[in-house]
Amino acid sequence: MTAALSRSEAEDFLYLEAALLDEGDWDAWLALYTEDAIFRMPAWRDEETLCSDPDTELSLIHYDGRGGLEDRVFRARSGQSVASHPRPRCVHVIGNVRLIDGADGIAEVASTFTVFLHDMRADRTHHFFGRYRHMLRHEAGTWRIARKHIVLLNDTIPTVVDFYSI
Amino acid sequence: MTIDPAGLIDDRPDEGIFRVDRAIFSDPGIFDLEMRHIFEGGWVFLGLASQARAPHDFFTTQAGRVPILIMRDGEGQLGAFVNSCPHKGAQVAQTRAGNARIHVCPYHSWSFDSAGRNRGIKWQRAGCYAAAFEQSDHGLARLPHFGEYRGFLFGSLAADVPTLAAHLGGAARFLDFVVGQPPAGVELVPGAVTFTYDANWKLQLENCSDAYHFTSAHPSYIQIMERRQKGDSAAAVRSIWDQSQAWSEDAEGVQGGSYSFEHGHVLNWGRIGLTGSHPLFESAGDIAARHGAAGRDWIFNMRNLTIFPNLQIAENASSQLRMIQPIAPGRTLMRTWCIAPSGESGAARRQRIRQYEDFFNPSGMATPDDTVAYESCQRGHAGRVDPWLQGYARGMTAGRAGGNRLSDAIGASPRRSVLADSQLCDETLYHNYYREWARRMAAGVGAERA
Ligand code: FES
Ligand SMILES: [Fe+2]
Repeated sequence: MTAALSRSEAEDFLYLEAALLDEGDWDAWLALYTEDAIFRMPAWRDEETLCSDPDTELSLIHYDGRGGLEDRVFRARSGQSVASHPRPRCVHVIGNVRLIDGADGIAEVASTFTVFLHDMRADRTHHFFGRYRHMLRHEAGTWRIARKHIVLLNDTIPTVVDFYSI
Repeated sequence: MTIDPAGLIDDRPDEGIFRVDRAIFSDPGIFDLEMRHIFEGGWVFLGLASQARAPHDFFTTQAGRVPILIMRDGEGQLGAFVNSCPHKGAQVAQTRAGNARIHVCPYHSWSFDSAGRNRGIKWQRAGCYAAAFEQSDHGLARLPHFGEYRGFLFGSLAADVPTLAAHLGGAARFLDFVVGQPPAGVELVPGAVTFTYDANWKLQLENCSDAYHFTSAHPSYIQIMERRQKGDSAAAVRSIWDQSQAWSEDAEGVQGGSYSFEHGHVLNWGRIGLTGSHPLFESAGDIAARHGAAGRDWIFNMRNLTIFPNLQIAENASSQLRMIQPIAPGRTLMRTWCIAPSGESGAARRQRIRQYEDFFNPSGMATPDDTVAYESCQRGHAGRVDPWLQGYARGMTAGRAGGNRLSDAIGASPRRSVLADSQLCDETLYHNYYREWARRMAAGVGAERA
């Protein structure tokens, strides 16, 4: 039997990831990723073109393996990063979910996101928005993220952007 | 009425006193003077020659508040112009970069060639222009001064400035070393990263030269590098910081230092040495052949170079070029790129990019801990019970006039130098920023009064 994913299951999955990020349940968030997960948010080559090759063009974030994300979580919780504490209040709103492919234990899901965040210290509210592309893999009886590609559309970063605010 | 900038820097070398008034970071009158007399009144960095390699290539940039268009003309000559149509002021080039023989203004279609000359005024003959108009020039306004050094482009909106060579002075020697300066030159890795912070531009100016903050602001980053080194983490990214003794308590002897050059330029450096995790490692032999052994050693040191007021180049396990663009007293825009030697191998480029992202990006694990600290300073600067900041005093008894054996070895001639152990963390190099700042501000204020 090969696993298949429906659109509503894909939506539930993305909502769960968003909730875990927003609520700070980052161990559960990390557990959604495969060991070899690729996590990437490319920079923009120019006004209209996204960087495509991570080895010759810059990314805002690029990890080949979940360990990079584990480092980010470690830092955000370390109490040793002034940028990470107090943690900004964030809400992810996920929309326009489309199932690109969802058979044979592999699924590709396209969606859009808006993250609203409030930085208490600066008393500043702003938002990030863009597109997600999730590649999911059915592994040990559950769907996990094997690849997440984030297109950040408003990429003039107001001071800080971190894994929990995109 | 604007505060007199001269009173805001308390510089008494004979008494061992150097203090800065908090007002320089937030006073709107001071900010306006800085824009007019520093950013729009003298040499500023504009970009790299490699951003417009081919005939008719162009890119847009900024000098203070003024939009600038840099174009390479049909003969291969670079020119710098105000990116504003002489007709009614619209920006003639709309994009960050491109290639165009002719730029047509979007508003009323006046057109300009890549040498900035006017090539057409729509319906000119039917326009019933007076002779005075017909006889005047309708090209783009050319910057009074524009020049290149080692691929770095600088321009001045003011006419009355020293030559570029005089402006760079001894600091030019360190532009010779940027990412090893291969024969093919230097370039920006595709993918510009732009961020803002709600604090004054001089906080970034200072932080680049601030060795004192590293272990305080970045312990989480340092720990992650240690974790990665121990293999606790699956990530393959490593940093040269983890192999540096410069930050450990027991490091002995000279671990770094600083140089101050005329016109406010500053270098601070730390000893790192040749290691395989440096992207230039593959080129160490070529670099020694081109720059000599002493030049090679400098190239493999950690170096933070500021060409006052708006260019910073930070080199460690990777390499960043930053342009500082002040927006308001309490707001700054940073344009940042990974700067790299043209023609490096794919493996070295990949290593350079990976080592860049985690350290330098505002989406990384170090820079946010700097910029959030700037914002904290900016809020704190509202306190004027004692207006004088005390962050300019470390190293007061360590400096000496002129260079030292390390600068002599490469023929660099700083005005002042400091040799430091791992914990000195010189703060006197900031004096050089503020002496130039005070000189330029005083000259500007004097010229306005005259
Ligand atoms: S403003 Fe450029 S043609 Fe009118
Ligand atoms: Fe820093």
